[in-house]
Amino acid sequence: MDTRRLLNLAALGGPAAVVVTLAGWLVAGMLPLPISPSASPSEVLSFFTDQPDRVMAGFVLSSIGVVLMAPMLALISVHMLRMEGRVPILAFTQILTAAVTVVVNLFPQLIFAVGGFRTDRSSDTIVLLNDLAWLLLFTGIAPFMIQNVVIGLAVLRDPAGVFPRWLAYLNFLVAFAFVPDVLAYFFTTGPFAWNGVLVFWLALTAYCVFLVAMSWACRRANHLLLAPAPAPAQREHASVA
Amino acid sequence: MSTEPVLGEPTFLWDDDPPAPSPSPGPAPARGPTDEERTGVPAEPGLWIFVLGDMTIFGVFFVVFAHYLGEDRAALKASASALHQQIGAVNTLVLLASSYFMVRALHAYRAGSARLRADLGFVLVGGAVFLTAKVAEYALVLADGHRPGTELFFTLYFAVTGVHLLHVLIGMALVARWRAVSLRGRSGRIFAEGVAVYWHMVDLLWVVIFNLVYLGATT
Repeated sequence: MDTRRLLNLAALGGPAAVVVTLAGWLVAGMLPLPISPSASPSEVLSFFTDQPDRVMAGFVLSSIGVVLMAPMLALISVHMLRMEGRVPILAFTQILTAAVTVVVNLFPQLIFAVGGFRTDRSSDTIVLLNDLAWLLLFTGIAPFMIQNVVIGLAVLRDPAGVFPRWLAYLNFLVAFAFVPDVLAYFFTTGPFAWNGVLVFWLALTAYCVFLVAMSWACRRANHLLLAPAPAPAQREHASVA
Repeated sequence: MSTEPVLGEPTFLWDDDPPAPSPSPGPAPARGPTDEERTGVPAEPGLWIFVLGDMTIFGVFFVVFAHYLGEDRAALKASASALHQQIGAVNTLVLLASSYFMVRALHAYRAGSARLRADLGFVLVGGAVFLTAKVAEYALVLADGHRPGTELFFTLYFAVTGVHLLHVLIGMALVARWRAVSLRGRSGRIFAEGVAVYWHMVDLLWVVIFNLVYLGATT
């Protein structure tokens, strides 16, 4: 496989993650309407134990899906290296936080799958696993926000336009969209509950938009990377300020 | 493999001697507008993705608040009457005044006037007063025994005003950065106009929050 095809394949990681993860959630029953934090222990128990094979298969699928974004996250930093030149602190921060986001996305899927592993568990235990998976998945927002902010800063500082400038502002917006997620600790019903409009649906939409937009921008930037270009040290350096 | 384009060293490993420029450069990269290239909108078009998107998220907040307000009007009215309206009103005036100084600052920036630093300083003072008053207000509300976790109105109040306060803090950091840059030179047009647009957005959002949460909920 030549480099161009490899880079373009890596760029598809984001949309692939969206499709496979959402498919897994559909199989598991997390979509179309996710279980509420105000659901009774017996409802939570029946979610995991009525059809445990379906739940486990679905979350195994989503646990694979969320990791498919990894090559695209690496590719983002490859392009950021070109933007930053010799001191690529933002590119390294991006790849570091991106690795954390993969873990934060992966482990809750596995904990959900663990919920279906035994059918003789008490409802208390199942409720704990369910709470743990949901709150881990949605409230650890800092790695995601830092990732968005460093991508945005790198794009605004880049004089060569490797990524379009509007992508910077989209990243800042996505970062803000994650802020309400921490309120999931304080609500069991309504828009700030983990299944609410301003937590589940806003974060899911923002993250899907982020993955698809970054994929588009990476594919667009791939041909610039492969074309010989002058060293960044020669470029006039722009500043955010 | 022989037809594969040759990749250079990773950019950050390049030494000080740049490679010879290629005779056939790739497609010309798209560039962001320079300071002199007027786009017809403040800052640059991409910024408005953020501004309109952020205001839409706040719009959802406001719809949610109005929804709860309609559900149990009497209970929310009782809770809302415990808010410190005077502090909210003072903060509204403070932010409006800071927006006035932001307008002056942008005019000074465009005229290349040294008044810029003073005007940005007044904006920062406004932000600091807002911040201080907000913290005092939170302390008073908590001292009155209202907790974000127990009363719906105060959960919404702390959530909406808290997220807005985060916006104010980020705005103050941006204004401070603009002012710091202006001490030793001239910041870029896109940055300057972008900070001004952001600050006005934060002000506008507060005016809606004040009307909805402090005034609308009590009537």
